[in-house]
Amino acid sequence: MWKIIVFILFINSINTAEVVNKNVINKKVERTIDLNSQLVKITGTITLENTGKEAVRNYLIAFERGLQGSVSYISVQDSLKNALKTSQVAVVGSGTSEIFYNVQLKQSVEPGKTGTILFEVILTKALQPYPSSITQKEKQLVRYFGNHYFYSPYDTRTQKTDVLVNSRAVESYSKLKPVGQTDSKISYGSYDNIPGFSVDTLSVHYENNAPFLTVTRLERTIEVSHWGNIAIEENIEIKHTGAKLKGPFSRYDYQRDSSSNHHSIKSYNTILPALAHSIYYRDMNGNISTSAVKAKKDYIELELRPRFPLFGGWQSSYILGYSIPSYPYLFKKPTGEFVLNIRLLDHVFDDMYVEDLETKIVLPVGVSSIKVKTPYEVRRLPDGVAYKYLDNIGRTVIRASKNNLVEQHIQDIEITYTWQTHMLLHEPVLVSVALFLAFIVVIIYVRLDFSIRKAEHSKKD
Amino acid sequence: MLGLGKKGVQVSFQDLKKQETLLTISILSLAAILSFATRLFSVLRFESVIHEFDPYFNYRTTKFLSENGFYAFHNWFDDRAWYPLGRIIGGTIYPGLMLTSVFLFRLGQILHIDIDIRNVCVFLAPLFSSLTTLITYLLTKEIFDKGAGLTAAAFVAIVPGYISRSVAGSYDNEGIAIFCMLLTYYTWIKAVKTGTVRWGALSALAYFYMVSSWGGYVFLINLIPLHVLTLMITGRFSHRIYIAYSTLYCLGTILSMQISFVGFQPVQSSEHMLALGVFGLCQIIALFEYVKSKLSPPDFQALLSFALSTIGALLGVGLIILALSGKIAPWTGRFYALLDPSYAKNHIPIIASVSEHQPTSWSSFFFDLHLLAMLLPAGLYMCFKEPTDARFFLALYGATAVYFAGVMVRLMLVLAPAACALSGAGLSRLLSRFLIPVASTQRRQKGVPPAPTRGPVALSFAMLSIALLCSYTIHCTWVTSEAYSSPSIVLSARAHDGSRIIFDDFREAYGWLRSNTPADARIMSWWDYGYQITAMANRTVLVDNNTWNNTHISRVGQAMASGEEKALEIMRELDVDYVLVIFGGLTGYSSDDINKFLWMVRIGGSTEKGKHIHESDYYSPSGEFRVDREGAPALLNCLMYKMCYYRFGKVHTEGGRPPGWDRVRGAEIGNKDFELDVLEEAYTTEHWLVRIYKVKDLPNRGSL
Repeated sequence: MWKIIVFILFINSINTAEVVNKNVINKKVERTIDLNSQLVKITGTITLENTGKEAVRNYLIAFERGLQGSVSYISVQDSLKNALKTSQVAVVGSGTSEIFYNVQLKQSVEPGKTGTILFEVILTKALQPYPSSITQKEKQLVRYFGNHYFYSPYDTRTQKTDVLVNSRAVESYSKLKPVGQTDSKISYGSYDNIPGFSVDTLSVHYENNAPFLTVTRLERTIEVSHWGNIAIEENIEIKHTGAKLKGPFSRYDYQRDSSSNHHSIKSYNTILPALAHSIYYRDMNGNISTSAVKAKKDYIELELRPRFPLFGGWQSSYILGYSIPSYPYLFKKPTGEFVLNIRLLDHVFDDMYVEDLETKIVLPVGVSSIKVKTPYEVRRLPDGVAYKYLDNIGRTVIRASKNNLVEQHIQDIEITYTWQTHMLLHEPVLVSVALFLAFIVVIIYVRLDFSIRKAEHSKKD
Repeated sequence: MLGLGKKGVQVSFQDLKKQETLLTISILSLAAILSFATRLFSVLRFESVIHEFDPYFNYRTTKFLSENGFYAFHNWFDDRAWYPLGRIIGGTIYPGLMLTSVFLFRLGQILHIDIDIRNVCVFLAPLFSSLTTLITYLLTKEIFDKGAGLTAAAFVAIVPGYISRSVAGSYDNEGIAIFCMLLTYYTWIKAVKTGTVRWGALSALAYFYMVSSWGGYVFLINLIPLHVLTLMITGRFSHRIYIAYSTLYCLGTILSMQISFVGFQPVQSSEHMLALGVFGLCQIIALFEYVKSKLSPPDFQALLSFALSTIGALLGVGLIILALSGKIAPWTGRFYALLDPSYAKNHIPIIASVSEHQPTSWSSFFFDLHLLAMLLPAGLYMCFKEPTDARFFLALYGATAVYFAGVMVRLMLVLAPAACALSGAGLSRLLSRFLIPVASTQRRQKGVPPAPTRGPVALSFAMLSIALLCSYTIHCTWVTSEAYSSPSIVLSARAHDGSRIIFDDFREAYGWLRSNTPADARIMSWWDYGYQITAMANRTVLVDNNTWNNTHISRVGQAMASGEEKALEIMRELDVDYVLVIFGGLTGYSSDDINKFLWMVRIGGSTEKGKHIHESDYYSPSGEFRVDREGAPALLNCLMYKMCYYRFGKVHTEGGRPPGWDRVRGAEIGNKDFELDVLEEAYTTEHWLVRIYKVKDLPNRGSL
């Protein structure tokens, strides 16, 4: 625990607190909030104006108090779609319950000029089932609580928000005028001249039968072999985090209800690399026979059916493993070092939400000077040692963990290490020597006479 | 029969010996490999999975042992079974099986051979079958000759009677016990032949391993004394036997008492009394011989008559005191069932309810032994034709095993190796009689010229034996593949188009229980499924396959056989949270709970508390057990019926049949539209094979 605290302190000390630049004004903000899955996806465009005298080099994006722990992913681009560097910071004069991200602008905004940035934010756990428990036949309704205004430390001139939600599914929504509704969205605004840090609760209560499936824990083990294979095994615990099932589960009703639009989860698709082979899908009690592999053009689609359909509050766990050839992932640098580029997290199902991830990378026997480069901030756990078949020297295991991940976190981790090619023969040689010794012992035992007396048959006829 | 050689080439004695060794080793290793390979049908067809019921318990305890070490295992009190009583596992099992697998597992770990403990368990039985093949060779070779040994080894590699208990995944005591038993026999024969303390002690060690792994050791500890007794009667008793038996008995008894489940039984229970008696008799005879050699005949006569009367009286009084004080345990029910097949059926329903405790039918002798059933008498004849001490043993073993196999189906297992050894001897003798080998070591030595018996008779006999042996092989493979290689935890059926349908409902249900019920939930089910629930679902059960408490099982039977109100009372008394039933009416799976229901009624009604349950109430007026409209009202309204058929009345199972058609019983169910008052459906698997109900809380008190 203290390691984490030290770590946090460390982070805080390098990212010195930022100050809100009052000269920046949001000239125009357009937001889209997509509520069609279990995640809340917010995308938007901000046109900012520099009313001060100095050039503006950075911009702060803020989130309300309630969203702590729920912001999973944020990415910011400039108008040319170049990714901008974003990092979480503390801000002078505000508490710790709000969250601020500092965006480093590529091109500073000169006084009197405007600049445009695009952002994408994924919120998890932001949709609450309401009612929180339903019977098998009822529809699943959820509520979303947000903000009518774009939450920003800066004043905003004009802003508009579209909430993407199927109108037939909407039970009720907050009506801060001007507001309009079409088939697929609710439009709020425009609202003009809103001061910074304004909050006015936006709420939408609607039917959402998208799978509310949470991966409560994912343990991903990647085992690299220089014989040309990478074995991947994922230990997955899943839970239906939508409205809980109230009362009995009736198989009869379940079998009669053939509509695909049901809040229970029967199956889902996992996407594996195109070269994956030797796929297995099992749990503690053995193989799960209900799965289908479909090879698509550039990936493999795996239709997984848990042993039982998942209703609200039900959970399950399974192990999914496969092998991939190492050539697309493992390279040798001209300097003789090896580079492994492999996904830190891989796809489990669409719009997935992973609560807790631990990735272990088992490197070959005898690696040294390991360098790890992660695509985003992760918690490095102390390295472990693993013994596989016939290993007398252990293998280094790199371990990393992170909470609160979504599909956008499917990115590569890069590991660089040095390794001597002759280590490839370490184990075959070991086995050969062992067998050789065994045979020698047997030969000696058979050929030599260890008895004190002279055996009778040794007199040859 | 094994010699090979080239005509016209002078083959030296050394070369022949080498050839023979090579042939022996290759035949033996082929037989060992074959015996391993033929047991892998289920792994190839399904997966590496533990089978049936008891193996799940063994697997669970093995896992516990590998994780927590021997002392924790020895002191293990299991609160997951027999709620609320629990079970002292360390003191109520034979730990040999678990210790063997954990030993192999640890050995693998030390060598960094990374095998899962489950795979060790799955492949343990085939591995020990290979070892059994070798030990059968040694045993038969010791009693007859090398040729007989090899034939017996080849027979035992694929004999169905043994395969039935030792396919991959069938992780049960018998899997290793047969090996232990034959090892004990081999060392015993060695001890008898050599008369050394060393072989006697080795055979005591082998016996200890046997005791630690299977309750069937009782057969062994009666057979060996019987052998000694027979030798005494036939006048073959000698110092060799005296040394062998005294060493084995003393060491073996002390060692066997180290197993806490066995405890003091070897000196108290009647089952072990033959061994003790024969041991005493040995001493008396030895003393008798000794005294006789030292005294003059008249003195000896006087001493003898005095000794007989005194010791006889003392012995009688002692036995009466011990029996009255309860020190001599009463004969247990399973043992009575061995002697009198109708005993269990009349007295202990729980023993009679197990199919493997039923008497064997004639057809299953042929099914499990095939050719051996015919060759066995030939082997017995061989034993008596040129009798030796060792052959007496094999004859006794064969004869008693035939008797016991006739009493209980599962004891076919004990007969199988005996049949193999005897048939091996018989066939080998027949073959060597007709097929004179071109050259063999013995004949070369003696310089006997080849006999000119190679006529049409020999040829036709050879053809006949080849045909018989081929049909034996085909039969064994077919039986293994069709009858003994189904894991019974995963079922499969053929669809109309020939493709295979897998019914994985058991694991579906156990997986559901494991994931979605509170960790301390108590599951009520019939005892058959107890081991599987604790092992796969990791939940507490009321009764399981270790049927040690009859009244508890009876209580569960009463709950199943009663109406809802009465059942709720029992279930609340037993703190039941969930009830699990197996229902095959939709898929046609015939060993479901409705078909077992009469046993529940019988067992439920067999105790004091269940006196109100009468088997006759569950029969229709015409005296049949039926679930349709004609069925008895007690049946149509009992808890088991309601749980199995809840909402089944609306389901169409077969074309052209009314809804609610039960495919196992072939009837439209009699009670269709009913609601459950005290239970609610918690989960039903995809093919309705397993149905789980939750016991409802007491309702809130309504407004007055």
